[in-house]
Amino acid sequence: MYTFLFILFGGMAIGCAVAMVAHRNPLYSAISLIGVFVSLACLYMMLQAPFIAAVQVIVYAGAIMVLVVFVIMLLNVEEEVRRPLSLRYLVPIGVGLAAVLTAEAAFILKLPGASRVDMLGPQPSDVGLTASIGTGLFTEYLLPFEVTSILILMALVGAITLARRTTVSRLATGADADFKPTSPAPPDAVIKSGDTEATGRAFAKLQIEQEEAALPASGGEEGTR
Amino acid sequence: MEWLTNLVGQEWARGIGQLIGINVGFVAVLMIVAYTVLAERRVLGLIQGRLGPNRVGPGGIFQPFADLLKFIFKEEVTPSAATRFVYFLAPIIAITCALMPIIVYPFGPTVWLPGIGEFSLVIARFDIALLYVLGITSVGVYGIALAGWSSNNKYSLMGGLRASAQMISYELSLGISLVGVVLVSGTLDLYSIVEQQHGLHWNIWDFSRVPQFIGFITYLISAIAETNRVPFDLPEAETELVAGFHTEYSALKFALFFMAEYVNMFTVSMLAATLFLGGWQGPFLDIFPWLGVVWFLLKVTFFLFLYIWLRGTLPRFRFDQLMNFGWKFLLPVSILNVILTATWLFLK
Repeated sequence: MYTFLFILFGGMAIGCAVAMVAHRNPLYSAISLIGVFVSLACLYMMLQAPFIAAVQVIVYAGAIMVLVVFVIMLLNVEEEVRRPLSLRYLVPIGVGLAAVLTAEAAFILKLPGASRVDMLGPQPSDVGLTASIGTGLFTEYLLPFEVTSILILMALVGAITLARRTTVSRLATGADADFKPTSPAPPDAVIKSGDTEATGRAFAKLQIEQEEAALPASGGEEGTR
Repeated sequence: MEWLTNLVGQEWARGIGQLIGINVGFVAVLMIVAYTVLAERRVLGLIQGRLGPNRVGPGGIFQPFADLLKFIFKEEVTPSAATRFVYFLAPIIAITCALMPIIVYPFGPTVWLPGIGEFSLVIARFDIALLYVLGITSVGVYGIALAGWSSNNKYSLMGGLRASAQMISYELSLGISLVGVVLVSGTLDLYSIVEQQHGLHWNIWDFSRVPQFIGFITYLISAIAETNRVPFDLPEAETELVAGFHTEYSALKFALFFMAEYVNMFTVSMLAATLFLGGWQGPFLDIFPWLGVVWFLLKVTFFLFLYIWLRGTLPRFRFDQLMNFGWKFLLPVSILNVILTATWLFLK
């Protein structure tokens, strides 16, 4: 049973990984990557690490890949055109590295202690359980845990700062509170959150003024406005 | 079970037993879902002062089967400009992710049947059941997003984008409003969470621990938004987007999306009943354990009726209202609930 499931999920992971590299359509690659994550989560589950499995699905498949798929869908990324390899000397290096990796795996499997560990059977252990991970995080590894959370918080604040710096006009979102246009604007063009009609009017006014500034002073179109 | 163990060995016998359990669970849930659709149409008829479908069988009870037959025999139309592989994959993802969480819900206490012996009415019981539910729900977004994108139709794309944005936003408050219950129970295993709410000590009003009333309300609202139901049904707003992400889907593929929506309704109702209303807990369980299934289904039915009631009475949100409500009201309130619960537990 365990061997069967291991071969099933391992094969799925390898197949999806190969498909991810081989596909030219970026969206197919992203879907294959989701497949890799999900089958890896199943493997973690079989290795008695349910918490890691759940986090793998929630964080990687459920959050990060949603972002990737979103970007691909919104930007409508074209199919990749296969170009001739410009860096030909990389091919032998890649083959060499792959050989080293294979040799390493073979060496580890041939080590005297390796055969005693049965990788496929369920091992009675509570290392992967939620309670033991939580206890570990808040006692022994408290400092690394807190440092990591502060790092993530910094990244979050940085991302928000970068996102707010752009002052491109966004109508009707209501998300940018107290938005001010960058170019010279009439004093009453301060836009409150959710104030869509006012936003529209202010921008229409701004555009007309900019057009007028760009136009040669002919005076003929003044009457139409 | 004895003869099965003798025939194929312990491991495979357990696997086969679980497969049987999964099939029984899925068939039962799909039947309940089919009748939820009928109940929705009848109750909406009641609310709107008309009859609703009542022609197929006495009172219309065979209507779901008539609908299913119609879905099967309809012509399948695939838009010629659709991205075919993704177009076929999307409904599969949607229905799979809707059905998968069913296996962790405890439908009842330990019961006894002749020929099988004692067994618990839960298909799979493991340490991270709640995280599993949340994880599968977060993967379910792909079904809708990919359906909208692959149909190559601007209404579908708008519906798909709206649905993904809405589901990602409301997933946060959904997850955080459950943290209170996890803090109180000290476990993520749904079966133990139900066992701890013995008698009428349900999490929603149990003052001997910490009552999770705020968490219940925020969970209920985010769950309605998460399943794209009225008043949060922006992704399929028919006045603006035809039918949203499933505009281009017909026949059985449309039926799969339709089914996925109702199964999702059912599973979030089950989660609400399990975590906040005591799951299968209720009176007279020690006399007749099978009564637990009845209590559980009664609670779930209450939530399903609430869904239908809301659909019959509330208008739809505007998109900016939806986002403001989710991010600026619901999320802070659910975080506040976590802080309150943690403080209460710390002081006790």
